[in-house]
Amino acid sequence: MNYDLEKLGLTKEELFSRVDNNELESEKITAPKYSYWQSVFRVFFRKRINIVILAILALVILFAYIYPMIFTYDRYGQLMDGAAKHLTPGEAFKYHGFSIRWLLGSGAAGESTFDAVWYGSRISITLAFVCAAINMTIGVVLGAVWGFSKKVDAFMTVVYNIFANIPYVLFISVMVMLFNPSFWTMVLALTVTGWLAIAYFIRTQVVIIRDREYNLASKCLGTPTFKIAMKNILPFMTSIIVTLLATEIPSYISYEVFLSYIGMGISDMSLGRMIFAAESAMVTPGWGFEFWSPVAVASIITVVLYVVGQNLGDASDPRTHM
Amino acid sequence: MQVRSLTVRLVSERQIMAKYLVKRIAFGIFSIVAVVAIVMVMIYSLMNRDLVFSKDSVWSHQSNNAKKIYEFQKWEEYGYLDYVTYTDYINDLAAAGEMDEATKEEVIKIGNTVSKDSKAVSKYVKEFTDYYESKGYEVERFDAIMLKKKYADGGRPYLIAHKDTSLPKRLWTYFSGLFRVDDVNFASGDVGERGISFTLYDPVYGGEKFSPAIIGNGTQHKYLLYFDSKFPYIHQNIVSINLGKSYSVNKGIDVFDTMTASQGSYEKSTVTFPTGLVEERADDLHTATYLKGSREASAANMSRYVDDYTNVTTKKNGLSKMGYSFVIGIIATVAAYMLGVPLGILMARKKDKLIDKLGTIYIVFIIAVPSLAYIFMFKSIGGRVFGLPTTFDMENPSSLMYILPVISLALPSVANLMKWMRRYMIDQMNSDYVKFARSGGLTESEIFTKHIMKNAAIPIVHGIPGSVLGALTGAIITERVYVIPGAGNLLTTAINAYDNGAIVGVTLFYAILSVVSIIIGDILMSMVDPRISFSSKDR
Repeated sequence: MNYDLEKLGLTKEELFSRVDNNELESEKITAPKYSYWQSVFRVFFRKRINIVILAILALVILFAYIYPMIFTYDRYGQLMDGAAKHLTPGEAFKYHGFSIRWLLGSGAAGESTFDAVWYGSRISITLAFVCAAINMTIGVVLGAVWGFSKKVDAFMTVVYNIFANIPYVLFISVMVMLFNPSFWTMVLALTVTGWLAIAYFIRTQVVIIRDREYNLASKCLGTPTFKIAMKNILPFMTSIIVTLLATEIPSYISYEVFLSYIGMGISDMSLGRMIFAAESAMVTPGWGFEFWSPVAVASIITVVLYVVGQNLGDASDPRTHM
Repeated sequence: MQVRSLTVRLVSERQIMAKYLVKRIAFGIFSIVAVVAIVMVMIYSLMNRDLVFSKDSVWSHQSNNAKKIYEFQKWEEYGYLDYVTYTDYINDLAAAGEMDEATKEEVIKIGNTVSKDSKAVSKYVKEFTDYYESKGYEVERFDAIMLKKKYADGGRPYLIAHKDTSLPKRLWTYFSGLFRVDDVNFASGDVGERGISFTLYDPVYGGEKFSPAIIGNGTQHKYLLYFDSKFPYIHQNIVSINLGKSYSVNKGIDVFDTMTASQGSYEKSTVTFPTGLVEERADDLHTATYLKGSREASAANMSRYVDDYTNVTTKKNGLSKMGYSFVIGIIATVAAYMLGVPLGILMARKKDKLIDKLGTIYIVFIIAVPSLAYIFMFKSIGGRVFGLPTTFDMENPSSLMYILPVISLALPSVANLMKWMRRYMIDQMNSDYVKFARSGGLTESEIFTKHIMKNAAIPIVHGIPGSVLGALTGAIITERVYVIPGAGNLLTTAINAYDNGAIVGVTLFYAILSVVSIIIGDILMSMVDPRISFSSKDR
């Protein structure tokens, strides 16, 4: 049969054509191509605000890690120069000439607050990431075991209930006193029991998911436990772990600030130590910059890390990938 | 038949609950003991004991052997070890009558080195060494340090035996001394007839005003039970709590007393002393404790007291450390629940609307920003913009000075409550029973108030006892920032001063509060939600 295709407004491809019968092909179940991590980033970048926040985060990290390499921070460089101390940005520009270093004025020893803030940020951010890496690794692995094994559960719950009652400050300060208050002592202090809370959280999540119907069904069908853990539970946990990470990393920065403030911090000039050292400057008129700068930078860092983490956590939940 | 079986079930349910509670409390006590044990290991064994002296000016002025002896004395005082000097040993022998004065004089001084000991001294030194080594002590001898044929400063020879206190022994001494019941055989001196008497007319008020009191003679406290005008109006001294003696923070005073003693300036009133002397003083006669020979020791005591119960505390106009912490904490807690819960509900009802978004920003701000940062921010805003007092002044108390600390404390709790309330509400909103209620034609507000809120409030109820009791412990940062004389800083001060007794005491206090609040929280939750049962089968 010949139709006038032009007249109907159709092209040749739109007409049906005969297909050979193919047994193998007909067994295939087709679904749209799905890649987990691709979808995560697709969902993450769909929100415009995430790009902005990510840009701020990149800027912060750039300043914290690259800036101290270019400008060497010399805390006591201007110690003898009485006129260089406690300057507001305007005064500092007048005194030293315009430079990015004097953007936030100068501190108690005449040092550049801008330099000090980024130098301190580097220590604080590194501390937060190292602690989070250690605590999350131990916490997630042990939490998973804790959730899966009934015997481990009984024992660990007792341990958790006991350790949860020991004041955290006490633990940390004893650690700081045992060894000298260095960076790695702080890491040890924050990780020695820090993983317990994470493990407990993961354990609760595992217990909730473990006995869901689809896992019971999977078990009935003979799936080995390891495969259930990897294929059924881990994908569910990814978003929980990322969300947890989003609260954990900023919390270590906050902890560091808190500990430094009560005089139990590390000896390096971290953000917390800067706040502690500049506390008296807060009430002195004109000295505000040296106090509020580390406070503001610490807040920006923690908020940015938190929001990025939360949104990444949302994006890594497969249910949002529709 | 039906009714009977129901009553049987109810009884067994109650028994199960009682059994469960006993189990919970037993485990709570076990975990408290474990916490104290861990803390003791941490501070007595792990921490370098030389740190005790880091801020001790007496220690830094000592030298040579005297310094070592001073260290042992202090360590014994701080509870690290038990130590005996040779001199004490000889004195004890003499006091027990096993040695006459002449021999004592002869042997009490040891030689400068072992080879210089006289024969008699050698004999006693050997006895001393054997006796204490058999008891597990370590005997150490410090030879004299000479400087030009004279003793160097602090260079006298010493012979001592010392033994570290073991953890089980330390735990046992600590917990057995936790509560002390006053008894009539406390006073060591001659106090006349020992006994307890009851009076309807308290002698402190001149013996005319009706005010019942129990008075002891021979006991540690003179007034065992009395009434006064201060909250809670009835006071007792029969059972005293000893959480642990403080060494450096508040020398020689128990941690519990440190937390509960009132502060501020003296509050003078007309006091009629037992001798009839009337003076304007701040002394609180109700707190009189026995101090042997104290009446004879000073003329002032002679004129005021008729017995050795002269050790009184003074009345002060301020609250105690715990009092200030609790007042601020409780107001903040109440405010947080009154604000946080309704705001959380509002956020859930207006999900994805402006108010929800604003609330989320606030929650993110509070969670992410270090608490120190926003507390300083509110202090600065409150002080500059609103002119509120930013520091605490006990001398000129005003209700205004509570505002900023309360706000600073309530802010994070409000955010936390908002977050969870919103979360629980939204979880409930998607459940089947809500869909059913909606399909049944209930209005949205009915669904919210009658169904969702009741279910969403259950987990919130669990946290109430924790927040209330937590108010007792105080807040470290808030109290530091606003210079509040509260209990929050006690632990950090004790740690900084290496005050072991205080550290253990404060830890025990925290542990008890936390265990108790979790148990009460569970009971409260089961009362609110009849579905939650204590029988293990249902859980």
